[in-house]
Amino acid sequence: MTALTRTLLALALAAPALLAQAPAAAQADTASASAASTATIGRIKSLTGGVSIDRAGQALPALIGMALQQGDRLRTGPDGGVGITLADDSLLTAGPSSQLLISRFAFNPTTYDGALDATLSRGSLHVVSGLIARKKPEAISFKARTVVLGVRGTEFIIDLGAEPP
Amino acid sequence: MRRLVLTVLAALATLVTGCAQVPTERIVLLPGPDGRSSGAVLVQRKGGAEGADLLLATAYAQADVARDGRLLPSTSDAATVQRDYAALMALQPARPRSFVVNFSSNSNTLTPDTVPVLASAGAALVGLKAGELIVIGHTDRVGTVEANDRLSLQRAEQVRDLLIAAGVPATAIQVSGRGEREPLVQTADEVAEARNRRVEIKLR
Repeated sequence: MTALTRTLLALALAAPALLAQAPAAAQADTASASAASTATIGRIKSLTGGVSIDRAGQALPALIGMALQQGDRLRTGPDGGVGITLADDSLLTAGPSSQLLISRFAFNPTTYDGALDATLSRGSLHVVSGLIARKKPEAISFKARTVVLGVRGTEFIIDLGAEPP
Repeated sequence: MRRLVLTVLAALATLVTGCAQVPTERIVLLPGPDGRSSGAVLVQRKGGAEGADLLLATAYAQADVARDGRLLPSTSDAATVQRDYAALMALQPARPRSFVVNFSSNSNTLTPDTVPVLASAGAALVGLKAGELIVIGHTDRVGTVEANDRLSLQRAEQVRDLLIAAGVPATAIQVSGRGEREPLVQTADEVAEARNRRVEIKLR
């Protein structure tokens, strides 16, 4: 069996698990949001134009070096863009007129166990997956408007085009 | 006149639609930094309609979501991705890079070339916006997993202190210990291996 075949098989096997996890993950998001963890999950590394962070009901102006928390929603303006590095080395870059919610992030720097759930509801997102995906691909998921992505150690772009229909 | 206005409007509409390259949702798999396929993405419709999954497993494999919700496979290419996403990719944060320091055989002292390595890491940090140094200790497989977790963290802290002494701001440094989980050289348990006793300084 080649490495690629194994990868495909692993993804195929993980698919039902991903689907089954969806409602549980949604509940977990609610629970963790109410716990309001203020731990740093990553930092803003690059910035252009207007970008703000929705956190605990407030819109904070984004700054280079700013620490991000679970539950943060990043919003970029029509001229905006933002690049962040998460604690597991995931690199997320959002283009103009984007909205990215990081609803769940956990990372153990000793074992590399963790979880990442992010949702792009507008705009575009470039992803370089990190150490969590390498350890356990099914522990991370990216949601777009109508699709959910299962990720196996990879780089990709999600583009939601212009305004939602 | 009215006809002319309508014609112009229709032409504009075509132009606008033509410009909107992306149907509703598009996923493009990119090659890794080495130019080869970087992995795979399984695209699934929310709610998990049967047989509606699409696996992207080769570089530039692409999935578009049609207006009716179907997933349409296609293939993009480097030029198209460059044209559509150059600005997005220009904002991508720097990929992490690592510096490694080693311990002398059968001792807890760092090798003499540690000093220039720390200087290189410190200098590289200065050149990076919002740069961080993640100092990660590693052990060989002598001893228990728990003991090696502690030992690897101690090694990382030792290197952190040296970095701070060399002028790196403490706030830019995080430490962690990977214990014996990530050997440079694979060995059986309880085998002493100097090359695995090391500290990685990851810059990102």
